[in-house]
Amino acid sequence: MALLGPLFLLGLLGIGMPIWLHRLETQVTEREPFATTMFLEPAKKRIHVQKKLKYLLLMALRILFFVFLVLAFTRPVLFSPPQALITEDTTHHVLVLDTSFSMQADGRFDQALESARDIINDMAEDDVASVYSAASGVTTVAPVTSDRETLNQSLNSMTASYGKLDLGNMITSLNTMVEASNANFILHVISDFQQSGQAVRFADMIPDVINGRPVTLEIERIATENTPNWAVDTVLVSRPGSVEVGIRGYNTGEDSSSRSLSLAINGIMQQEQSVLLEGDSITFFTFNDVVFEEGDNKVDIQLTPADALGGDDGRFTVFDNSPPAPVLLLTDDPDSLGITYITAALETAPRGYEVILQAIEDFDTRVLQRYPWIVIEDIGAINASLASAINDYVSGGGAVLAASGESSLGLSSVPVLNLDVGNISVRREGRNPITMIDSSHPALTETSGWGSVNLQALPVTASDADRTLIAQANEQAVLLERTIGRGRFMLLTTALDNTLSDLPVKPVFVTFMAEAARYLSNENLLIREQVAESFLQLTTAGGASGQVFDPNGDSLLSLSDTTQAQDIALNLTGYYQVFTPGGEVLVAVNPDRRESDLTIMDAQVLQNWQNVVAGTATPGEQGLNTEALIQTEELEEREIWRIFLILLAIIVIAESILGNQHLRVKTGTL
Amino acid sequence: MSTAQTDKNSSPQSRLLDPRVLASLSNLELVAKAVVEGFVIGLHRSPKFGFSQEFVEYRQYTDGDDPRYIDWNVYARTDRTVIKRFLGETNSHLMLLLDTSASMGYGSGDTTKLQYGKYLGACLAYLASRQHDAVGVMLFDDEVVDYRPPTSKPGSLQGVIHTLDKADASLGTDINKPMTRFREHVKKRGLVAVISDFYCDAEELLEHIRPLAMTGQDVIMFHLLDKDELDPQIKQSTLYEDMETGDAIEVEPAFMQKTYREKIQKHIAAIEEAANGIRADHVLLDTSEPLDKGLHNYLTFREKRG
Repeated sequence: MALLGPLFLLGLLGIGMPIWLHRLETQVTEREPFATTMFLEPAKKRIHVQKKLKYLLLMALRILFFVFLVLAFTRPVLFSPPQALITEDTTHHVLVLDTSFSMQADGRFDQALESARDIINDMAEDDVASVYSAASGVTTVAPVTSDRETLNQSLNSMTASYGKLDLGNMITSLNTMVEASNANFILHVISDFQQSGQAVRFADMIPDVINGRPVTLEIERIATENTPNWAVDTVLVSRPGSVEVGIRGYNTGEDSSSRSLSLAINGIMQQEQSVLLEGDSITFFTFNDVVFEEGDNKVDIQLTPADALGGDDGRFTVFDNSPPAPVLLLTDDPDSLGITYITAALETAPRGYEVILQAIEDFDTRVLQRYPWIVIEDIGAINASLASAINDYVSGGGAVLAASGESSLGLSSVPVLNLDVGNISVRREGRNPITMIDSSHPALTETSGWGSVNLQALPVTASDADRTLIAQANEQAVLLERTIGRGRFMLLTTALDNTLSDLPVKPVFVTFMAEAARYLSNENLLIREQVAESFLQLTTAGGASGQVFDPNGDSLLSLSDTTQAQDIALNLTGYYQVFTPGGEVLVAVNPDRRESDLTIMDAQVLQNWQNVVAGTATPGEQGLNTEALIQTEELEEREIWRIFLILLAIIVIAESILGNQHLRVKTGTL
Repeated sequence: MSTAQTDKNSSPQSRLLDPRVLASLSNLELVAKAVVEGFVIGLHRSPKFGFSQEFVEYRQYTDGDDPRYIDWNVYARTDRTVIKRFLGETNSHLMLLLDTSASMGYGSGDTTKLQYGKYLGACLAYLASRQHDAVGVMLFDDEVVDYRPPTSKPGSLQGVIHTLDKADASLGTDINKPMTRFREHVKKRGLVAVISDFYCDAEELLEHIRPLAMTGQDVIMFHLLDKDELDPQIKQSTLYEDMETGDAIEVEPAFMQKTYREKIQKHIAAIEEAANGIRADHVLLDTSEPLDKGLHNYLTFREKRG
């Protein structure tokens, strides 16, 4: 009931109005005097009684109108006990159907549904059951009920997905999802029991004891033998115009197979070749002279004819054929080693950058606006006018990554940021490792290995406006960031020429430069290839959400959802179109490769699993009795104001009809 | 409109017989006079029903004769007491029995059945008085309300009319007690005019009137019914309340159109049959029609029994 419910109840006083009106009306009873009634016969249905009843009914309807109106406003709730009453004699069948990608093979899922129906139909009269689908996650399909029709109908809505089943994750999920009760639990797992679905830890596959009640594991094997399968395993696209495809055979033995392999770019067939696939191995084939369009390209590989599991005979890949983005690199020494390291790191980044080297002394600051971000090899080398120009550039939305080279050593204050610089000690004080890394920062989420970096940092004193991203054990900032106007300035307090720091020669450097470049250039960080039933984190697309279209072209976000960051479940295979503030991005989604391996679990392993599960039953362990359990079960709360609204509409219609009839009939006159 | 045209085209005497006109006259005696005089004037035009004060013969005075009618001239000349006899004059009496039960108070128009009965009774009394008949009256409902024995003494007409005038519709009808009372007091043979709506069982009525006939009384039954009792016209279901019992019954128009009419006609036929069974006359009168039919029937009846 809403907060204003009690006030709305005052509306019940309104029922006094129809009562008052009808009372006034009923005082007028017209009778026609007649000499004698000895020859009269009452009307067959006692019309006046009928009329009186109609009148009372009309009044009742009008009273009910007020009552329902008030009740609809007060939003009453109804408390009802849980649907099924479960006792110690009840058997609770927990039906778990494997809906992973492998169940799409050879009509396995239809077979699984048939098994589930058999179990439901063979249930005893007092048994209850619940149905779950299991793939990458576990979903409740039908809650606990004894209604066979409901259970069977729930099966009709189930289909095999593109997800990956892990039996350990499945059991863990079921432990929390299966409603605790005093029933005897029978866990029916209906699956093809792929070997790849077996949990890493066998213990993860053992369900928790539920209220000390026996749990019996029933294994319904859909597949009894290893099924051969070919799958497109990898697609590597490289410049210029080369696509390498790796096809793996599972359970194919020594057999080879002749197939046709086709390549389509953006939906247009480009090349096709006949291939001979070697058994139980990965075979690579190359398409050369492939023509890509600028920007994101849909690269579709298809192997024909299809085999038992047709869904993995193709693969979706996104190839970004955007030209390398230009990056301005300002230096006072174009021949320095640091330039070499920076250039190499940026040019090998996945996105690919074209480094424009510019000497500071010859630099025309007007060209700054051409670049989304710039790199300054040594912040100490820039003069005041350039510092001012850079400050304006950043304020206007530009981004800068600046290192602190030899020229910075004599600074008392860092240009642009105006940070005080302390005295640098030339005396070796032993290793001062990096101990703090802000991994939540977009430029550092994918980087690791900073702990092995040895460096000497410029002793700058960070201000409140600065965010320290990396710091040494002595709390000396190594990397800090400041937001200036609409732009960002990242300062590395060490050199990149392998003099004050060995960072340029460490593996983390390339990754860091790539991530920093992507961050500073405002490119999104979306992973362009994902497995089915994973999540697309739109927060990585620049921190703001956009609209997402699935492979069928359906929008996945409502208008309100587009204003906030969302995680999108990728339930279909194909290309998802993501529209973000940074532009349109394609994300290719394929089934998990492990689902392509149709090798089944060893029968002995399954038998052991059953045995172990059976051994976990410890009847009466927790000693809850039925009554106590029922008492602890929370009552379901259901809002019923909609019912009153419907009743109100019916009352209004009935009142109109009856009222109309009543007005038509008057007490008779001669 | 149609009423006005009827009045305009009708003769003066017939206008006087119209109950609606009579209702405007407050004096019942005046009503009786107006009706009877008008009626008598009308009769002069009819050779069959001649009625006048023309001298017919003398006859010897006997005890009981009204001394006012002794011809004193003859007595002076012959020393014999004789009385004059006129045409239409009889030596009988008329007893009026008027039903004053509640049902007689019903009237769909200006005149109720009781009022119509009063007019009729007064007229009959006046007519009888003109013929020197003794006139008496009894008012009854389920009891005898008022009783005035028949007499031809001077002023008896006024007494009868006065008794009729004060009659008021009250209770239910029970023909048993009035008839018993009447038999106890009226031994002499004469005319008995019963004015009622006869809402009683025909067999029961027959049982009570039969003794009258067996004692030599000539009975004429004026059966008064309102127009709406004979021909009800309702368009909607109507809740009717019995004026005597207070019971209410809701009836449908279809019933009143068909079944009720059949029943009332069957009842009238039963009353008429009962009357015939005791050689009484039965005159059905619609209270919306002029009184002449009643008077005409009375005279015919009297002539037959005279």
